[in-house]
Amino acid sequence: MPPAIVVENLEKTYAGKIRAVQGVTFEVQEREIFGFLGPNGAGKTTTVSMLTTLLRPTAGRAQVDGIDVATDPRSVRRRIGLVFQESTADDQLTGEENLELAAALYDVPRSETRSRIDALLEQMNLTSVRHRLVKTYSGGMRRRLELAAGVIHTPKVLFLDEPTLGLDPQGRAGIGQYIRRMRDDFGVTVFLTTHYLDEADALCDRIAIIDRGQIRALGSPNQLKDRLGGDILTIVPRDEGPDLSPLLGKIPGILSVSRRDGSYRLKSDRGEAITPTVVETCFRNGVTLASVSLKRPSLDEVFLEFTGRQYREDEGPSATDVTLRMNQFRGRSR
Amino acid sequence: MTGRAFLALTGRELRRWIRTPTAIVASIMTPFFYLLLFGQAFNIGKFLASGPPQLALIAFQGAPNYYSYFSAGLVMFVVLFSSLFIGANVILDKRLGYIKKLTVAPVSRAIILSANVAAGVIRCLLFGSIVLALALGFDHLPGLNGLTVTASVTPWGAVEIFLSMVFLATAFTSIFVTVGYVLEQVESYFAIVNLVNLPLLFSSTALAPETIMPGWLQTIAKANPITLSINVLRENLFPWQGYYPYPPETYLAILLIFTLAVVGLSVAATIRSLAPT
Repeated sequence: MPPAIVVENLEKTYAGKIRAVQGVTFEVQEREIFGFLGPNGAGKTTTVSMLTTLLRPTAGRAQVDGIDVATDPRSVRRRIGLVFQESTADDQLTGEENLELAAALYDVPRSETRSRIDALLEQMNLTSVRHRLVKTYSGGMRRRLELAAGVIHTPKVLFLDEPTLGLDPQGRAGIGQYIRRMRDDFGVTVFLTTHYLDEADALCDRIAIIDRGQIRALGSPNQLKDRLGGDILTIVPRDEGPDLSPLLGKIPGILSVSRRDGSYRLKSDRGEAITPTVVETCFRNGVTLASVSLKRPSLDEVFLEFTGRQYREDEGPSATDVTLRMNQFRGRSR
Repeated sequence: MTGRAFLALTGRELRRWIRTPTAIVASIMTPFFYLLLFGQAFNIGKFLASGPPQLALIAFQGAPNYYSYFSAGLVMFVVLFSSLFIGANVILDKRLGYIKKLTVAPVSRAIILSANVAAGVIRCLLFGSIVLALALGFDHLPGLNGLTVTASVTPWGAVEIFLSMVFLATAFTSIFVTVGYVLEQVESYFAIVNLVNLPLLFSSTALAPETIMPGWLQTIAKANPITLSINVLRENLFPWQGYYPYPPETYLAILLIFTLAVVGLSVAATIRSLAPT
């Protein structure tokens, strides 16, 4: 089967100088749930906007279902569904009316419109509220309605830009379940962006870690964690003493040592077993420890490994922040 | 397919509107008070009361009194002012991401724009008709001035009146919707709207006959699209021969040309503003 999305050296430069996306290359296979993971301002939304014909690429090539997004945007639009990070369902219409509008915009055959709306409402657990105005919906209900609207025309690829932004943890977990159901029931390929590590980990078949407009790592969550080569032991000395890196590196079972701001980050394939030896080595060399921690690798660590920076979900101002504020505003004014 | 999307989008605009009863009631009250207070208070025809009855006919271009003259102008004035609301909705829709959602759907930009305009025009026609009905009704209420029709209105005349409202509404709804697509801020939108609407109103013959205007303003007033549409209305409600140089069809035709030109420009500007960057 040909890939659902092919992207080659895609670039976007705003106003001739801000390089939001700096040459990304990847493929998404059919029926895959593919995640773009990165902090705010990493270039995720810009990439989605190019793939969904909202922005014109500055350079490079992108195809969705074999069609070039730059040369035939109209055909691409027919084949994709898109759920934005901000809520775009119409407040003043009922849930059902919103779906009817989407069906008309995407020209779903009239004979199928009714049955498809019924099925989607059922699937998204919205049947009981279908005649209520959307302004009375909770955040999770709105999201589910938008997911339903996004697949009403049975697209080949469903794009989800921060699908759980602004939802409480419970709502977030729920949405993940619905997204997986979309893929399983409709065979739709899902391309999603997120800045939640746990979400990417739990939901995606494969993840591309994007930072400052570039892909830093790509693979399944497990592959990425495996690439770290095991457990991570972090030790923080009380005072910045002599550099023990060479000594620690010699301990059997330690794969690598790095030192940042006086603290050490050790990788090992058997963390528990080497921890006593490490502590002893420090002690013998006159270094008193403030803390020791042993971690199984998480995507946090993966991010740190591939970008050299700690992962912060709230890094940098971006459209996402504005959306969050708008949602809060909307919530208050209701 | 395009027809279906057009109807769905127009229906969406109208539903939203119907579901805000406060706005509808307030929008109906506004022209009611114009008719009741402004029209009754500014009855400048009283200055002519001492003269022969022909004096009023000459001053008000065939209308029997100022109130009849004014309320015909008010119909088009209300059409003009009703045309600005959809443009403000466009800005809100843009802010909420709704417009972005439309632009990734396989629907042409021209359809999106026409649905906005169609919904706006329906609204203008409704309020214009309400004003006309109220003014005609006031004529039969004791103690109130009203719109006295002194010509016999033919079916074709009624069609002309309707078309003049449609053309005027289409032209200005298109302008304001386009301004909505181009601008980002509601504040700047209303600043632009006031900049356009009030000068247009004051340089038309809606409130006062052009004979009392200075020469340069008369020239502007004659070409003003509000004046053109009002001429069509007044010529059909009052005997026009001797007071106007051209029959209503002429004014209607010029108004149509203006409307087509404006719609063409609006479509081009909107498509440009919605194009991917």
